[in-house]
Amino acid sequence: MTLISIENVTFQYPGAEKPVLKDVSLTIEEGEFIAIMGSNGSGKSTLCKLLNGLIPHYYVGDFSGKVTVNGLETSEHKVAELSHQVGYVYQDFENQLVRPRVLEDASFAPLNYGLSDYKERGKRALMRVGFVGHEDEFIWQLSGGQKHLLALAGAIALEPNILIIDEPVAQLDPQHAEEIYEVLKVLNERDGVTIIVIEHHTEFIAEYCDQAVLMHDGEVVWKRPVREALVAVEELYSKQIYPPQVTQAAYHLNPEDTLPIKLQEGIQHFTVHEEKGSAVSQEMKIETESLVTFEDVHFSYKTINRKKKKILKGLHVTLQKGDRIALVGNNGAGKSSLMRLMTGLVKPEKGKVNVKGLDTRDYPPERFADLVTYIYQNPEEMFIEDNVRKDVEFFLKARKVENYERQVDSILAQFELTDLQDRDSRLMSGGQQRRASLAIGVAMNPSIILLDEPTANLDIATRKHITKLIHSLKEQVEAVVIATHDMQLVAEWANRIIVMKDGEIIHDGNRESVFFNHKLLELAGLKAPQILELSRMLGMELQYSVDDFVAAYRKVRERDEHGLRTQTV
Amino acid sequence: MDYARKLFDKLSVEQVKIELLNTAYGNGNTFLARLDPRTMFIWYLFFGLVPWFIHDEILLAGMLLFMIVTTIMARVSPLIIFILCLGLLGQGGYLLIVSFLFGGDLTVMMPLILLTIKVSIISLASITVFCSMDPEKLSDGLLKIGLPGQVSFSIAYGYRMLPSLIEEYHHVFLSFRLRGKAPEKHGIFYYRSIIYFVKIAMLSFYPLLLSTAKRSRTTVEALETRGSLYAFNHPKVKAIKLQHLKIEWRDYGFLAFSILYMTFVFMIARMY
Repeated sequence: MTLISIENVTFQYPGAEKPVLKDVSLTIEEGEFIAIMGSNGSGKSTLCKLLNGLIPHYYVGDFSGKVTVNGLETSEHKVAELSHQVGYVYQDFENQLVRPRVLEDASFAPLNYGLSDYKERGKRALMRVGFVGHEDEFIWQLSGGQKHLLALAGAIALEPNILIIDEPVAQLDPQHAEEIYEVLKVLNERDGVTIIVIEHHTEFIAEYCDQAVLMHDGEVVWKRPVREALVAVEELYSKQIYPPQVTQAAYHLNPEDTLPIKLQEGIQHFTVHEEKGSAVSQEMKIETESLVTFEDVHFSYKTINRKKKKILKGLHVTLQKGDRIALVGNNGAGKSSLMRLMTGLVKPEKGKVNVKGLDTRDYPPERFADLVTYIYQNPEEMFIEDNVRKDVEFFLKARKVENYERQVDSILAQFELTDLQDRDSRLMSGGQQRRASLAIGVAMNPSIILLDEPTANLDIATRKHITKLIHSLKEQVEAVVIATHDMQLVAEWANRIIVMKDGEIIHDGNRESVFFNHKLLELAGLKAPQILELSRMLGMELQYSVDDFVAAYRKVRERDEHGLRTQTV
Repeated sequence: MDYARKLFDKLSVEQVKIELLNTAYGNGNTFLARLDPRTMFIWYLFFGLVPWFIHDEILLAGMLLFMIVTTIMARVSPLIIFILCLGLLGQGGYLLIVSFLFGGDLTVMMPLILLTIKVSIISLASITVFCSMDPEKLSDGLLKIGLPGQVSFSIAYGYRMLPSLIEEYHHVFLSFRLRGKAPEKHGIFYYRSIIYFVKIAMLSFYPLLLSTAKRSRTTVEALETRGSLYAFNHPKVKAIKLQHLKIEWRDYGFLAFSILYMTFVFMIARMY
């Protein structure tokens, strides 16, 4: 049964110069699990706002065409009525939680619509998303993943038969993202909820969705079953969407093949006859000058009920000159605390942190600002001026550095911000903001740069771009530390990986020692990039990128074929 | 010096956040916290207003004693008490100095003490009431006595946002510190450092305003779809929302005790 039909809709936001949606038509059947793909600005979110009536009731722009949701024409029914049909989880879902406690928020919509069993409905919604036992907790005590579950519960509290989720993977670490998708899968299969996700992580699309829509520049290019959608490699590339790594690898080896879209299919697709010993190529570790030392560092912070929560438990670690460290582990493992201790903003409860010979306890953070730069996960928290240039030059100006203008010019050029330098940083796109925050950090001319989740919330194309810029940092500083969930970045960039769990370092090694160690990955809740997983499961040497895999696979095949030929002769 | 630093550590933004939230939400299981908000309003109406019209020392002293007891019962956070004392002492002291400068003598002491007592009673009453009602209760109470839904919602929502706002403010503040340059010498009485900190404390508000304005877009949309506008216009919703408010024996008991106590104090005051 057709649940949603969008017919020839064109929409232009008030004050905008051109329409965001151009003559869009799309039908969605009941019970589908559908992904909407498209690069930033292609109109995905706007399309979804048609469905709950925010357009045209709330955003009164130029609207033409017809949208029908479950038999209701959206232009004739109020947002209130449509809300019973459609639940919406935003990308910045934290801002949609409006009540202080969990259950209050989950039952907010049923209460507002005057349903006397609102509390039961809230509880039921929490149960359906598997978020139980936290009813009376405060919103601000929840972790990111828990907040997302709550937003989800709030959205389904009215039991709508359509659920829209805007980029679930962008804000969560991979493990939590998978949990969310598992919940969505249950809602879809058990309760028959039609699910629409805005998503460009194609590996998730391959795993969970059954239909995919490609949008480009305000138009719906096509709607196809997922398999057909994801094997259109060239077309997706041209729209800056990257198919799953297995698909890309298979395509590069032979575009004519039937391409795999899931890891399991990939393992069957690629065959390696000769099992090669998985030799761990150990990079020689050369002891160089040590920059930062942690000696038996304990750290805890106070929670709202005045109890202390232990974050770091007796940490010993030394950062060396030339280190490119990836700090990995689940949320709450203590990564951010470890980094913040190096800035002098917080002091250890017990033990010593030494930065370039200075004990952080003895000096104010301003002193360490000359040595260490910390780049926040949320770039907006670094914007203290009203345009990009002023923000970048703030540090140099405060220190009355001579000829700082020239320095600022070259940094702006390095991060491709020259054309944006007069813009307000807060109004730029996610990728631009991230570049600005990097530029601000580099302008401080530090010895050590600390980056907190530099590639979170970015689409894959932008993520690649930022990764490239991060690569360029190693020329300018003595050491870089990145706390991240982005295993692709870890695999391609780091020369040292520190794995943390519950406030302790459980491993300190390099990418071979980490990615070969399946138990470790599981213990720390890490998920290796698909291509790496594939090469491991095929028994090849570990490959960290699609290109490397393609090259290595060709070599192995050649040798295999050669081997087979010599055997038959 | 070391002592000053310790005090400074205690006064971190993080600490202020914890104290604020504790004051707002943390005292849910005291006797006072279980009272109906309307009881608290009536009680506060008396102890917040009447002291201004009383000049009898004994009567005032009796009220002050009662307020001290309720403040203890409400388990008010020490930081709040500390700030209150600082404020009272500061104000009293300054008036005393001014009166000396303009030719006053020790006779001004008595009226000054009286004024300070009045202000203390009212402040302690306010603290008792607002520490005992979490924002939810306050907003439900206001809704019950007929204020529009928008007002009561704003109070509850304001508190919901408070921790994230403080956190964001903190981050911006730290950004200023990390990229700025603290004065190299503290100056006499730390005046350079104080000016530096006050300046960035003020500057930090601007970025906060801008980013909050941006974030509110999602909130407003979510409120729309989650029916808060609908709720404001339908009295039935209000009734469901407030059905948990009940005036019980402990409310009557508390009010009765307050009246009895005040009568008792009044009688003592009459006798002398």
